[in-house]
Amino acid sequence: MSRVRIAQLSCGPEYSGVQNEIAKAAQSVDAEVFFPDITLKDIRSGFDLFGLDVRSPDLKLAIARARALVEGTIEADAVFIATCFRCAEAAIVRNELRRYIHENSRLPVVSYSFTERTTAGTLLTRMEALTTIARRRALLAREVQEGLTLGVDSGSSTTKAIVMQDDQIIGTGWLPTTGVLKSAEDVIDLALNEAGVAREQIQAVGTTGYGRFLVGEKIGADLIQEELTVNSKGAVYLADSQRGSSTVIDIGGMDNKAISVQDGIPGTFTMGGICAGASGRFLEMTAKRLGVDITELGPLAMKGMSTMVPMNSYCIVFGTQSLVNALAAGSSPEDVAAAACHSVAEQVFEQQLQEVDIKEPVIMVGGTSLIQGLVRAMGDLLQTEIVVPPHSQYIGAVGSALLSSGFIKDR
Amino acid sequence: MKEYIPRFVGTVTKYVFVESPDMTPADLAIRAYEISQGVMIKETCFGLQITGRPEEVDAIITRLRTFDPSHIFVKDRGFPPGDPRRCRANLGGARPGYYGHEFEISLIRHISRGIEELSQRGADAPVHPPVYSGPAGLDARRLQEIIESQES
Amino acid sequence: MAKVFIYPTTSLILSDLVARFGHQPLSAALQIREKIQTPGLESPPLQITPEDPKKGLKYAAVEVPSGVRGRMSLYGPMIEEAQAAVIIHDADFSFGCMGCARTNELIQFLLRKREIPILDLRYPRTDEEGIEFVAAIRKFLQEIPGDGS
Repeated sequence: MSRVRIAQLSCGPEYSGVQNEIAKAAQSVDAEVFFPDITLKDIRSGFDLFGLDVRSPDLKLAIARARALVEGTIEADAVFIATCFRCAEAAIVRNELRRYIHENSRLPVVSYSFTERTTAGTLLTRMEALTTIARRRALLAREVQEGLTLGVDSGSSTTKAIVMQDDQIIGTGWLPTTGVLKSAEDVIDLALNEAGVAREQIQAVGTTGYGRFLVGEKIGADLIQEELTVNSKGAVYLADSQRGSSTVIDIGGMDNKAISVQDGIPGTFTMGGICAGASGRFLEMTAKRLGVDITELGPLAMKGMSTMVPMNSYCIVFGTQSLVNALAAGSSPEDVAAAACHSVAEQVFEQQLQEVDIKEPVIMVGGTSLIQGLVRAMGDLLQTEIVVPPHSQYIGAVGSALLSSGFIKDR
Repeated sequence: MKEYIPRFVGTVTKYVFVESPDMTPADLAIRAYEISQGVMIKETCFGLQITGRPEEVDAIITRLRTFDPSHIFVKDRGFPPGDPRRCRANLGGARPGYYGHEFEISLIRHISRGIEELSQRGADAPVHPPVYSGPAGLDARRLQEIIESQES
Repeated sequence: MAKVFIYPTTSLILSDLVARFGHQPLSAALQIREKIQTPGLESPPLQITPEDPKKGLKYAAVEVPSGVRGRMSLYGPMIEEAQAAVIIHDADFSFGCMGCARTNELIQFLLRKREIPILDLRYPRTDEEGIEFVAAIRKFLQEIPGDGS
C-alpha cells in the first residue's frame, strides 16, 4: 500500500525540537509528512487572498500552502496543522485554516498545538486517524454490520466487548480495566456468553482503544484501529445518523475526543484535555466523595443546580477541593453533583469544542454519556438537544464490530 | 532519540550567488573549478555552494568576487550541500530560507547598482538610505482637495 | 573587524555587504552550522532538540511559546556578542529562522537594549535607493568601534 502523504502546515516545530517527533509519528503509521511546494508569488497571492493579516512569515507561508491544497495545485491525502502552544497569533491561524480546509476540501485535517515536550507517542493516534481516513475511506463507508463479528474496546478506564450479528447487537461485556489482556479476555467471555456463541464461530474481530495493539495481536484481530475513526463510525451508526454532518463528543477516562463527522467519516477532530479535571475521572472522584455509585451521579445531578456551587477549576485536585469546601459549607449533594458535571462540560466546551465545528446532531458517547447531568450540562452549553444513542457506552466496541465485518470475505 | 554523528565537521559552506548580465552560474562554476584546489564546489541554479576549510573557502571567494564584483553575492550556509535534511526532494517543498533568497534576488539589481556607485562618492559623503516609516499616510492638503472635489 | 548582527539573520544582501566591507556578519547560518556539526542526539532537520527551548528560558519566560524560546536559544548568544547591528524593517518574506514575528520583535528589542550602534533601513525599491542603501551601510560600518576595513 502506498504511503499516505500528510501535508504539514506549521510554525515553530523545527525550533521547538519536535519536528522529528512529528515525522516519527507519521512514519510509524506508514505515512510521511511533507511541505507543500509553492513559489514566492504563490505565497504573496495566497496570503493576500485569504485575508488574514498576520505578522509571522511562517504563518503566511502556512496560509498560502493551505490555499494550494484546497485549490488542488498540490496533492495530499491529509493535512496536519501544528503551531506553538500559547501563541495567540498562531492559534487564530490554526483554527481558521482547519475550518477553511474542512469546508472547502475533502482532506481530513487535524490541528495540534505543541510544546517542546510533545512526543511522537502523543501524536500517534492523531496521525493514525488521519491515515485511516485517507487510506480506508471504503472501509469507513460501511453502514451495515454483516455476519458474526466481535469488537473490543480496550480503554484506559474500562474494557468493553460487543458481539454483533446481521446488524444487531447480541452480546455485551463491560468491566473496569485492570490488566489490559485479562480484562479483554473477560469482557469477550461476557459478550460471547450473552450472545450464546462460541469464540470459533466469530467471523471477524476488531479492536480499538489504548490497548488495541496488545489485545489485537493477542486475539488475532482483523482490524486494529484508533478510537477516533472507530468511535465516530460507532456513534453515527447507533444514532442512525450515518449520512450528512454530525458532531461526536466522547469524554473519556483519560482524554476527550470531539469529532466533526461528515457521512460517517471524521473531517476534523481534537483529542486531549489539559488535565484530568476535564475528564470522566473527575466525575468518578466526585461520586466517590459524595458516597454514591458513579451510576447514581447522573440522576443526582439532574436534581441539583450547578450555579449554587462555585467550581471552575482546571485541575482535578483543586476541583475536588472545591467540592469538599462546598459540602462543608452546606451545599446539597445534588448541587455539588450538578456543579461537577457542569465543570467538566464547560472545560470540554472551552478547550476542545472550539476546535471543531459543531453541527447537529451532537452525539455523546462513551461511559460518561450515561451520566445524565453531564449530558444536560453539555446541552445547555451548546444550546442543543444532545443525542445519546442506545449502547453508547460500548461505542468503540460497536464501531469495531461494525467495521470488522468488512474483513469477513478476506478470511 | 538516536545518537547524532555529524559530518563535515570543521568545514564551512558558503552560497555564492551570481546575478549578472555578463556571467551565468555555469560560467562562474568553470572559473571556480579552475581555482578550487580540492575544495568541494557544487553548481546550482543561482550560483555555487562551496564547502571546505574556512581559509580555503575564503581564498576562493576572494578570487571569485574579482570576476564580477558588483554581481556576486556571498553568504554562509549552515548545512553542507545536498544535505537530505534540507533537500527539496525530501521535504516535498523548498526549505523555508529559499523564499527569502528568492525575495532578495528580486531586488538585488539595486544593490549591484549601489556597489558600482561606491567608487563615485566619498566614503564620508552624506547618505540618505531608505527608512521604514510604516504605511504611508495621506497628506492633509490632498485629503482636503479630495473632500472639496466631492462636494463641488 | 566587528561582529555585526544582521536582521533578517538570513539575509543574503546584508551578509554579503557586511563581509564585503570587512566585518563579520552574525547570521543564522553560523548558529545552525554549529548545531549540525556538534555530536549529540539526532533531531532533524536543524539539530535543535527539546533542550534548546529550555536554554531559551534565559531570554523569554516559560509562558512564551516553545518556538520563540528555541529560536532565542540561537539568537540570544549572537545578540550578546554583537558590536553593532543592521536592521531591515520590511523583511516580510524571511521564513524559517525569521518566521516568527514575536521572536523578531524580541530580537529587535534586545538589540536596542544593548545600546550598540544600529542602522535602521528598509529594502531598496529603486536604483537610487539601492545606491543610498549600500553607501549608508558602508558609512555605518566604517564608523563603528573596532573598525577593520
